[in-house]
Amino acid sequence: MNQNQGGNDARHDDDSALSDFLASLVDYTPTIPDELVEHYLAKSGFQCPDVRLIRLVAVATQKFVTEVASDALQQCKARQSAVVKDKRDKQQKDKRLILTMEDLSKALREYGVNVKHQEYFADSPSSGMDPASRDE
Amino acid sequence: MSDGGGESGRESDRATKRKSSDRDFPQAIAKIAVAQICESAGFQGFQQSALETLSEVVVRYIRELGKTAHTYANSACRTECNIFDIIQGLEDLASLQGFSGASDSDHCLAGSGTVREIVQYVSEAEEIPFAHSVPHFPVIRDRKQTPSFLQIGEEPPGDHIPDWLPAFPDPQTYVHSPVTLEQARQHKKAEWSLLNLQQQLACNGLEGPSMIDPGDAAKARRAAETNPFLSAPLHFGEKGVSPVFLPAKLSNEAVVENQAGENHAVANHVSVLETFAPAIELMKSRSCESEEGRKKVLSNQRPAVQFKIEIGKKSTGTALDLSFQNKDVEKITSWFGKDNEKDDKKRRAEKILKESMKNPQELAQL
Repeated sequence: MNQNQGGNDARHDDDSALSDFLASLVDYTPTIPDELVEHYLAKSGFQCPDVRLIRLVAVATQKFVTEVASDALQQCKARQSAVVKDKRDKQQKDKRLILTMEDLSKALREYGVNVKHQEYFADSPSSGMDPASRDE
Repeated sequence: MSDGGGESGRESDRATKRKSSDRDFPQAIAKIAVAQICESAGFQGFQQSALETLSEVVVRYIRELGKTAHTYANSACRTECNIFDIIQGLEDLASLQGFSGASDSDHCLAGSGTVREIVQYVSEAEEIPFAHSVPHFPVIRDRKQTPSFLQIGEEPPGDHIPDWLPAFPDPQTYVHSPVTLEQARQHKKAEWSLLNLQQQLACNGLEGPSMIDPGDAAKARRAAETNPFLSAPLHFGEKGVSPVFLPAKLSNEAVVENQAGENHAVANHVSVLETFAPAIELMKSRSCESEEGRKKVLSNQRPAVQFKIEIGKKSTGTALDLSFQNKDVEKITSWFGKDNEKDDKKRRAEKILKESMKNPQELAQL
């Protein structure tokens, strides 16, 4: 009985926390605009007239992107510090942190997204093949 | 390596085929939003391909979240989603990363670890509003519907067609009808006026276009004076151009030569005629002299050498030939002793014929 009451209290707390949070979401403007989120949710069949839920999805997406970006940033900084061991001048030159495909693919791999990017681009489809097997 | 390149090439082809115009706008907005978030995370620059990839991943995240939430709502016999469907969707997507309380089998959704993380994020992160104002999209345009038979007031052709169906298009749109005389005249008028307009524009250059009447030759002449190649073309009957056949009369000889020069010169160029006028006059004078010479020759002496001023590079050669031929002709005629006027006329006619035969060759070389 006590556990149940305790559980009930906890549930109430959770519910109240959630409702409070949803109320606070109305004031908070996520970076991803509502129209965009609504458009893509509508494409996948999501039907909800409540603005707060749209905001919740937008905030969740923003959190996801922030996490990926911070992981990629760590990768970038790690790569820069590894290179800079030789020269200290480079550290001052390469202050610009640029999001590259390498860092992004490493960061996304943890989230289950496998991004493979081009090592190089070939001129024709038959380049690099064995001369014997090439049809000419 | 080449296999990987080929595969990605095929994938990019498929991607470009999928990409349609209605995907571009939300994709662009997503790119901007992602760039803003990354900038707040600390990045100062982006690779174009990296930014596109990340925005594509974000779009797929949103769609996956929506699809999962919708599936959960359907499983609970609802069509509209609520907060718990979304939380369940979030838990599904975050299951790879893991969140606190993921292993609990019977925890309350309201107190889910994902929600707590989001609450924490909102409290910590600074608010970055989107850079531009986004209009409501997709924009639905009002489609102009074809009115029905009833709306037009037409009787549908045939009993089997109900009157609430859209009306048939006008028969003029699909039936070819013969053009009537009036229409042809109107077409001609329109074309003529357009031609005039173009000529005006060409002649006057920067001046504004002005319509010229068919009878207004002054402007055309003015244009001709400035640049002969831009003069208005002459119309049928404006300039007397002789027919090709050659009359046997003496008086017409000069006229014929004159017109031969005209015929074979570039048609309807006033300045060309003017430049050739002295030459033609010279030819006339020469031919008169030669006539007189011929008259004298016919009586007793050898024919005089006749010089012809001809327009063309081969002039000297042909002149000599002509003179030789004339000699032969006159010799032959003198043997036969026919010294009538008619014979003279015939001879002159033959000579003119020869000249006109040579003339087109020479003048065409101009």
